[in-house]
Amino acid sequence: MIEQAAGRLPNEDLAVPEPAVDPLPVRLAGVTKRYGRRVVLDGVSFEVPRGITGLVGPNGAGKSTLVRAMLGLVRLASGGVRVFGLDPAVAARPVRRLVGVVPEDDATVPGLSGVEMVHYAARLAGLPTSEALRRSHEVLDWCDAGQERYRGIETLSVGVRQKVAFAAAIVHDPDLVILDEPTNGLDPLERRAMLGRLVSLARDHGKAILVSTHVLRDVQSICDSLVLLVRGRVRLAGSLATLTRLADRELVLRGEGPLAAAAKALASRGIPARMTDSGDGLVVQAVDDTSLVAVWEAARAAGVTAWSLEPRRLALEDVFLAALAAADEADARGIQHAPA
Amino acid sequence: MPLHDVGYRAWDGAARSGGAAAVIAATGIGLAWKSRWLRRVVLFAWSPAVIFAFGFFAFEQAVDEGTLATGRVAGRRIDGFGVIGGLVAQSLGGSLADPEEARRIVWSRLLLAFMRAPQAVLLAVVVGLVAPRLIAGDLRARAWLVYFTRPVSRCDYILGKAGVLAAIVALITLLPALVLWMVGVLVSPSLSIAMATWDLPLRIIGAAAAVTIPTTLLALAYSSLTAESRIAAFAWFATWVACWITHGALTGADLAAGRPAVGAAEIAATAFEDPFDDPATLAQPPRPPRLGWLAKAAGLGQGIDRWAWLSLFHAQGAVQAWIFGLETRPAAFGPSLASLSIVAIVSLVILFLRVDAPARI
Repeated sequence: MIEQAAGRLPNEDLAVPEPAVDPLPVRLAGVTKRYGRRVVLDGVSFEVPRGITGLVGPNGAGKSTLVRAMLGLVRLASGGVRVFGLDPAVAARPVRRLVGVVPEDDATVPGLSGVEMVHYAARLAGLPTSEALRRSHEVLDWCDAGQERYRGIETLSVGVRQKVAFAAAIVHDPDLVILDEPTNGLDPLERRAMLGRLVSLARDHGKAILVSTHVLRDVQSICDSLVLLVRGRVRLAGSLATLTRLADRELVLRGEGPLAAAAKALASRGIPARMTDSGDGLVVQAVDDTSLVAVWEAARAAGVTAWSLEPRRLALEDVFLAALAAADEADARGIQHAPA
Repeated sequence: MPLHDVGYRAWDGAARSGGAAAVIAATGIGLAWKSRWLRRVVLFAWSPAVIFAFGFFAFEQAVDEGTLATGRVAGRRIDGFGVIGGLVAQSLGGSLADPEEARRIVWSRLLLAFMRAPQAVLLAVVVGLVAPRLIAGDLRARAWLVYFTRPVSRCDYILGKAGVLAAIVALITLLPALVLWMVGVLVSPSLSIAMATWDLPLRIIGAAAAVTIPTTLLALAYSSLTAESRIAAFAWFATWVACWITHGALTGADLAAGRPAVGAAEIAATAFEDPFDDPATLAQPPRPPRLGWLAKAAGLGQGIDRWAWLSLFHAQGAVQAWIFGLETRPAAFGPSLASLSIVAIVSLVILFLRVDAPARI
């Protein structure tokens, strides 16, 4: 059981800990954090494996607090966090040496140029001066920052600032990169390039990446696993492939013709069917193999030219909305049954 | 795409395990130095050193010409050389017989006057220009995340920011004072004077620390309390002015009530007989003592200022006079020392509480 060191300021104890031996980048167990009477994190437990993990949740879900807990910036009420086997509450410095963070907020030092900012970040992370400068230019090149790097941070566009922040986070070659809304304010090309860099870091360089975002499209396109946080609780966690699994016994019939009539015909045969959200097909509840035959027959009888009939795969948005609805329902039930 | 783009490469070098404070301080100094106003004020802050250097020269010239007893330099009375000459003359008091002892007193008085009168005032201006942005700027730009998402502790951060301020304060107090001492050695008859006055550089460092530590911590504490650097700057200057006015009002009230500063009457009656008056040769009538602001800054004619502890400026002066060995009465520097210590400790506590407060929001 992981336990939080009690009564210590988070970043005070800088004793050198035992070397990190846990290959698992992040492990959280029963993490609870309260601000006054408000519970921000309520028994959060999950693991972040190698690869890219999406941390998804609505505003106020506790994502930022969770990231701060991983850096040893907040004192937990209970539970524990391990980053590569180290407890950030007692070994903040070694943990932060292994982690690179791109905050959502525009966290830069006014007055510095882009390259100075990255160089400063590298020096703070402990790189020697000349090495820090070499690495700074190297990662800025990789981020395609161009000559913009020599301009003052305040004068840079949102996209270039995001590149500088990303370069500053990875300049010390961290094993775990945490990004808060990394594609905010980026145009489509820049967004694609940024996601490509994340994929490269994870696939080619073996980094663990945790992306906190609202953009489900980004999660679906690059993430290997997902954690859904709602009102301080983990509602879903697992690999993306599992979470967007084939919907049980649901088929999608796509075709041309009077689909609504086909739906009525199917209903008369005791097979529930509804139009897809896009309106170009029917979602059919298939009970057994005989249902497949019934679907074809009903479609033909209604005058629909069927193009395809295939098992339905859930969109991440569906998973997200279903989990939110389930969370709402569970919370409402909890309130209803709560003792007076 | 740059020709030298090598893509992303792993870095397997050894990271330094300390020194973040030095990095923060060095970067902070570089950023502060970009301010044209700061560079102007610092340059201007060195000009009093040129004037005080003349005091060293006038005294050493008198020693060299053997005219110390008559108080003449190149046919003129030392105190005919303006305020600095007057200060030298007054500093000599009755210690004309022994040049070594006279040198120690004169040099100490000159250094104290230099650090107390022009530099302490300029210091308030420089700190007011630099300090408010140091932490408030980070809070405003949310730059605290730049530090606390990296292997930087709260102590590193505070030390680094204090280092920025301390370096700039040292640039206008410690450094010119040390240069003045070196000028004194260079214009003295022998370089062995450096050995004879070896303790003065240490006293200068102590006196600079007495100024630097409380002012740096207080200014940083103000800066940590707000994200608006203007508010921090206002608080800083308001503190100086309010303390000065309070001190002046209370001292004035004492005088109005017929309570001169303790010991002042005795000093006025005995200590300021003009040492250069030699009626036989000069046939000049004795002149009344002239205790200008510079002489007061040098600790001349001072009784015990019982309200000094209320004002940063006066408290620092009292403690510096003690450090230079010119004031030995505990009642004169004790309350001021306590006052400055309390300011420093309270400021430090505020800083520690405030610095990582944003992370807890």
